Amino acid sequence: MAELPGAGLPETTSRRGLLVGLAVGAPVIGYGLRGAIVDAEDTHPWELARWVIGSALIHDVLVVPLAACVALVARRLAPAWAWPPIRAGLAASGVLGLVGWPFVRGYGEDPTNPSLLPRNYGAGLAAAIGVVWLTVALWAAWRYIRARSRHVG
Amino acid sequence: MIPPARPLPRRLGDPYGSDLHEVRSAAWLGLGLGLTFGTCFLTGLWSHLAQDPPSWFTYPARPAGLYRITQGLHVASGMAAIPLLLAKLWVVHPRFVEWPPARSVLHAVERLALVPLVGGALFQVLSGTLNVAEWYPWSFFFPRAHFWVAWITIGALVVHVGAKAAATRDAVRQQPRTAAAVRAAPADRRAFLSGIAATSVGLVVATAGGAVAALSPVSVLAQRRPGVGPQGVPVNKSAASARVTEVARDPAYRLVVEGSVDRRLELSLDDLRALPQREAELPIACVEGWSRSARWRGVPVRDLLAAAGAAAGAEATVESLQPSGRYRTADLNADHVADRDTLLAVELNGEALHIDHGFPVRLIGPNRPGVLQTKWVSKLVVR
Repeated sequence: MAELPGAGLPETTSRRGLLVGLAVGAPVIGYGLRGAIVDAEDTHPWELARWVIGSALIHDVLVVPLAACVALVARRLAPAWAWPPIRAGLAASGVLGLVGWPFVRGYGEDPTNPSLLPRNYGAGLAAAIGVVWLTVALWAAWRYIRARSRHVG
Repeated sequence: MIPPARPLPRRLGDPYGSDLHEVRSAAWLGLGLGLTFGTCFLTGLWSHLAQDPPSWFTYPARPAGLYRITQGLHVASGMAAIPLLLAKLWVVHPRFVEWPPARSVLHAVERLALVPLVGGALFQVLSGTLNVAEWYPWSFFFPRAHFWVAWITIGALVVHVGAKAAATRDAVRQQPRTAAAVRAAPADRRAFLSGIAATSVGLVVATAGGAVAALSPVSVLAQRRPGVGPQGVPVNKSAASARVTEVARDPAYRLVVEGSVDRRLELSLDDLRALPQREAELPIACVEGWSRSARWRGVPVRDLLAAAGAAAGAEATVESLQPSGRYRTADLNADHVADRDTLLAVELNGEALHIDHGFPVRLIGPNRPGVLQTKWVSKLVVR
């Protein structure tokens, strides 16, 4: 029996596109894998594989569930008109916190080189997150006023 | 219009507290990721060609400021990709935990290709960020690992783009294949995507101050401040950490020019200063994305090679006083040797070089990654 196009695939996946993608992309993946293995002295393939797989695992089993918990609680607490700005604020704060963390901790500092990591990153990160929540407040206020004026009108 | 308050989702299938797990959000974020990862990949390849050129490629010496732009763009587009990547994974996360895990062999293959895509993409932005923070909590050599995982990631991205290009095109043209795949209210999706886009822009602003001096005051997570460092220029590796402090200050210092030359040269710092000098405004452009222009003064490498009687079109290896390290030496191809602004510099911004900038003599040339601007130069070996 002839299969329907895309049968056994999600509705957003094109069967033909996937096959073409595999034909082009699989050799590229292979090239990268081969390089990582041939270059073992520099790449330490087993450790590198742990980092690559570990990045995905930590994201999926730690970061996403944590973010989902925060989102569920915040959405329960926030009024509906304020939720989109608050959601954006949570996302922006989370990203800034993740990226800023190694800078704030100063793991890369070199006592012989004060030109490296010269800023007060803790204060800077706090200021950046402050700007985020100021923006959230303004955005939420605008939404509230707009919603009220529509309601009244 | 403001979407009405919704009851909390209670079904196990929707534990995210949002309605954004749908094709249009995924499509727009996918386009943004294609743009940022594509830019990152191409500029990263360029940097690789600069540092590890294959035999068939001559890395050009001009335009002088090209590398500071390509590498600044590399780091900026990587930073811009972080919020997009996390948002995209958030949007499609229900797909990762769907049951059964595969509906057909081809579906299993498609999903298997997501392992190098997701793991690779996350590793690239994580390792890139940690490199900018100069923190290396691993034993592998970062540039090589980052380079090979880039190929793995881009290959997996090609597979993914092949599979999803049609659906993405339909979704952004507002013709989704199935109505069920579009769940978010337009205003809600717009608010979400605007927030993510703003976060991307904000993150670039917060980190790009080492490359774009105008952003420095607000660039709270920048690795550098443009004017902060000895003689107003940041330093990548100090003399102390390169363990050259004593040997670089030794009065018996001589610069040696040898190899394929008619006359081996041995020049003291005073000999070098007595030769005709040239001044050039050139940037130090680091792989971590920061760059800083400065006025350098010294002897053009091509003049030294001519004085030693090297053949036209010669290449050279520059060696440092550093006892060890991957960047102890750097190669100058014929194009870089021939460029009049490729200098063995003895002065920076009108003063003798600070020891952290490579006293007594350093290499500075146009369009070179910072790690190939060898400091504390002891020898030119001509080929």
